[in-house]
Amino acid sequence: MYNKYFTAFHLSLSEQLTYRFNFIVGRVRNIIILLLLYYVWIELTRHTGQFASFTREELITYVFLVNILRSFIFGSQSRRIASEINDGTFSSYLTKPVNHFLHFYARELAERLVLTFTAIIEVVILSLILDLNLLVPNSISIISLFLVSLFLAHVLYYILSYCISLLAFWSREAMGPRFLFEWLLEFASGAYFPLNIVSPFFFTILQMLPFMYLIFSPAMIYLDQYSALEIIFTQILWIITSGLLAIYIWQKGLRRYTGEGI
Amino acid sequence: MKKYTRIWIQLLKNSFSSTLSNRIDSASYFFGKLIRFGFFWLLIISIFNFTETFAGYSTYQVLFFFLTFNLIDILGQIFFRGIYLFSSDVRKGNFDFTLTKPVPALFLTMSRLIDLLDIIFILPIVGLLVYAGIQLPVTITIGAILVYLFLVLLATVLSFTFHVIIAAATIWSFENENFIWLYREAMTLGRLPPDIFPVLLQYILTYGIPIIVMIAYPVNALFGLLSVGDMLFAGVITLLFIAVSLVLWKIALRSYSSASS
Repeated sequence: MYNKYFTAFHLSLSEQLTYRFNFIVGRVRNIIILLLLYYVWIELTRHTGQFASFTREELITYVFLVNILRSFIFGSQSRRIASEINDGTFSSYLTKPVNHFLHFYARELAERLVLTFTAIIEVVILSLILDLNLLVPNSISIISLFLVSLFLAHVLYYILSYCISLLAFWSREAMGPRFLFEWLLEFASGAYFPLNIVSPFFFTILQMLPFMYLIFSPAMIYLDQYSALEIIFTQILWIITSGLLAIYIWQKGLRRYTGEGI
Repeated sequence: MKKYTRIWIQLLKNSFSSTLSNRIDSASYFFGKLIRFGFFWLLIISIFNFTETFAGYSTYQVLFFFLTFNLIDILGQIFFRGIYLFSSDVRKGNFDFTLTKPVPALFLTMSRLIDLLDIIFILPIVGLLVYAGIQLPVTITIGAILVYLFLVLLATVLSFTFHVIIAAATIWSFENENFIWLYREAMTLGRLPPDIFPVLLQYILTYGIPIIVMIAYPVNALFGLLSVGDMLFAGVITLLFIAVSLVLWKIALRSYSSASS
């Protein structure tokens, strides 16, 4: 039964490895962001060895950890869903015995695994070159809770991203909202900086959104700064809420789908 | 020049129609840009809640770096955005149509896509630059403002040369999506004062990929921190990049083999 999803996984994996040059240039872009953030925090902790509630080691660990987290959590495969709905290619899924959600998840997972593996190599090489002392949790329970939270963040991102792509059922203009979603996600998730350095007013707003549970919260569990169980509980709530929303949008959207090109 | 201005205005009108006919996309892209800008602004302000200076610069000085980066980035987006369509044109053979038109191919390649949203977005950037400029803790002279504007112009020319080099590379490799994004990502290193980088990286960003010349030089000129030698260097490196990029473009054009014919 799961062979068809494994095939989608395998095809996506091959696709990732086909355009190697583009892949490498894409990773170089990531390293540029990583270096910029690294030097920002080095500068800010130059005199006192700490900034806000973080020590230099915690901030540097945060920056490098985020490089791995975003590779495992953020994906681009669900962008295809919107364009396939708009150009009518989506119709072929309706005639196949596949679950659309799982099919794209298999594709997304292949991309995520390749990028995560590459991100880990980048972090190891850069930490050796820059002679970094990255922190590792000294408790098995923290590592276990971090991994649980990481997996939940991965699932939550996919569901949110899937919902945004399904907007293509209502409009041919789904790429704009996706652009908006991606930039909101980049910042509101904590992919650029630890969110608790912003003023309490903005932090309270960010806490009401699901995005901070994608990057910032798992990273805080890793650094043993926040209550892991509370974060995991909130992540599960957001997964259930966004999952129900995805089902609703899917059912409503299918009724509107006109199958362009048929 | 008149002809080019007329063509550019016509392309701008096309962009206006496209923006109005794709209202959801346009509004989303605009808000996306606002969010990107707003969060970086928030980051800078948040940093200064915990420190007096950043690499020796005050809040408004750092904001001035950030705003100048945005200004130069958006100018590049307004005038050279056509590069985003170029790899598709080369792959599909549509570049043939550009070559047959009685307008230089480079001009049409760069300007065939204009984003009206960037033109709208530049207005608040200029407003904020004036505001941040008034708040700066240094005295700004008219001469310094003129040098700043001249160096911003040079930065736009340098941005053009990067786009030309990417276009040439596209003809050779058939793909440029990541080249252009690599350039734009490298540009983001100019968002903040370059003093935070180690000396070696500063050298690379001055002499190799002259992002420091493009962003930090105008800002430092305004702050009265740029020497005459540095200003001359900015002019020389711009001329060098113009020459190199145009030679590369000519070589690339010679090796272009139409995909459709």
